[in-house]
Order: sequence, then structure tokens, then C-alpha cells
Amino acid sequence: MKNKTLIIPAILFFFILFILFYLLLIDRKPSELPSVLINKKVPVFKAESLLNDNIFISEKEFKNELTIVNFFATWCKPCLDEHVYLKKLSIGENLKIIGINYKDDPKKAIKWLKELGNPYYDVLVDYDARIGIDWGVYGLPETFIINSKGIIKYRLVGPITEKNYNMFKLKIIEINQ
Amino acid sequence: MMKKYFFSLIVIIILSQFFLLTPHAVEPDEVLENSKLELRARNISKNVRCLVCQNQSIDDSSADLAKDLRVLIRSKVKNGESDQEIYQFLIDRYGDFVLLKPLLKFNTLILWFMPFIFLIIGIFIIYQHHKKSN
Repeated sequence: MKNKTLIIPAILFFFILFILFYLLLIDRKPSELPSVLINKKVPVFKAESLLNDNIFISEKEFKNELTIVNFFATWCKPCLDEHVYLKKLSIGENLKIIGINYKDDPKKAIKWLKELGNPYYDVLVDYDARIGIDWGVYGLPETFIINSKGIIKYRLVGPITEKNYNMFKLKIIEINQ
Repeated sequence: MMKKYFFSLIVIIILSQFFLLTPHAVEPDEVLENSKLELRARNISKNVRCLVCQNQSIDDSSADLAKDLRVLIRSKVKNGESDQEIYQFLIDRYGDFVLLKPLLKFNTLILWFMPFIFLIIGIFIIYQHHKKSN
């Protein structure tokens, strides 16, 4: 039979079709990139603090306890929405959160924290995005969870919201164990 | 008559698109004085993906991060780092995805060789078909 030769391409065609449909149906965010820093040590960096004269040295700070690093800026609208949940985590859950003020006007940032409250243990200034680039940041806000040994365990791209707050808290508990 | 003009106008508009050069996002203040180094920086930038727009190179993108990376690449070129070192620096932070051209690695083998496999399958099918119809 002549049609027999069509069987292989037909199977192949439906196989590809199946894969494409499968990719459409699963919950997938192709623009959200996985971080290459997961399970790696925190990048080494030094930074000025926004609110005091101390110099922050990364090697000294990421030890002994779980730490959250949050990249934010006053020009970033989702950061404003996220602020409430950061406060919940810092005051309600007593977590150490380090804020990194990304390419921002320090005056605006100080005013912002005064008006909205300061959930951060320390706020560092990243005026030229060099710290952000070392952390592989590509859009604000981004939040990292670092375990007590200074290893990056999780990255959230985009804000902490009502929807993902509980998931984020569970991640913290999971990493803390 | 009108119709004919209208048609040629459309053809001209479509053809003219091919002659437009893609605009570059590099701003004058970013450009290095040394044209040799600038050329190297441009070449690297063309191969680096803008992670904000994702299908543009940082050479074409006017996103903030693209500019920051362009400036960073230029300062590294100026410091005498090799192209390979600069690519590795970016891969260490943003992953292989930061390169517009995928690397030839174990998990990209399918991506690179699938077209050839399909070609062989195609030739095989045509050959079989030809043999039978003879």
C-alpha cells in the first residue's frame, strides 16, 4: 500500500502537536528565568548603607540565620504593593530582611521608608546596578531566600502578593529546616 | 489606473522595510574612544540577550538593564578582559540564556541536531516513496 510511507511522518506530526499542546496547557511562565545562583554562595560584595554610615560586607552578614534579600526601588510600583508583605514578614515573622535599593534616589528612598515603615534590617545602596548584576537581577522587585549557611535557596521574580505570600512563607519554613 | 499605482505603492513600502537598518540603542556617551575596543564591545553586545525584552540583544535594546550591561562590558573590555571572560561573567550570573546563540552542550544536542535528523528522515521517506512508485 502506498499510504504506508505516510505513517512515520503522521506519527511524528501528532507527537510534535502533542508536545506543543502540552506546553500550552501546563502552568508555565517562559519569561520567568530560573536563577543560576540557586544552591550557590551569596555573591561577595561591599555596599554603603542607606540609613547609617556603616559599610556592609557580605562575607560577614550571611551567616548563622536565614536571611531574605529584597531588591527594591521607589520608582517600582509593584515594590510599593509588596511593601505590606515585607512588613508582615519582618515584624510578624521576625525575619532578617536586607533591602537593596536598586538605582534609586537615596532621598526618595529614605522618605519612602519613613512614610511606609522600614521592614529592613539594613538597606544597601546599589546606585549603578553592579550588585544587582552580580545577583542576576533583571527586573524589580526580586527576592532571594538565603539559608543560615549563606547559600541562596530560592528566588522570587516579581512582588510578594496576597496570592503567593503563603507559598513564600512555606518556602522559608522549608529552607529553615 | 488608480489600482495600479496603489499596488506599486504597497510594493515600495514593503520593499523599503528591507533597507531600513535596525536602530541601535547605544547612546553617544557610552561609546569608547578607542574604536578597536568599541568594536569588540559592540560584537559582544550583539551576542548578549537583553533579559528584559528577551528576544533582543543588549545592543538593540534601550532597556535600563541593557544599558547597564553595555556599560559594564565596555569597562571590562577597557580593563583588558578577554571576550571569553566577559561571556563567562555574564553566564555565571544570568545563565546560558544570556547568550543569544545557544551553546553546544549535552542538553542542547537535540536543538542542534534535530534538523539534520529530520532531513535524514525526510530523504529516507522520499527514497522509499520513489522506490515504490517505480
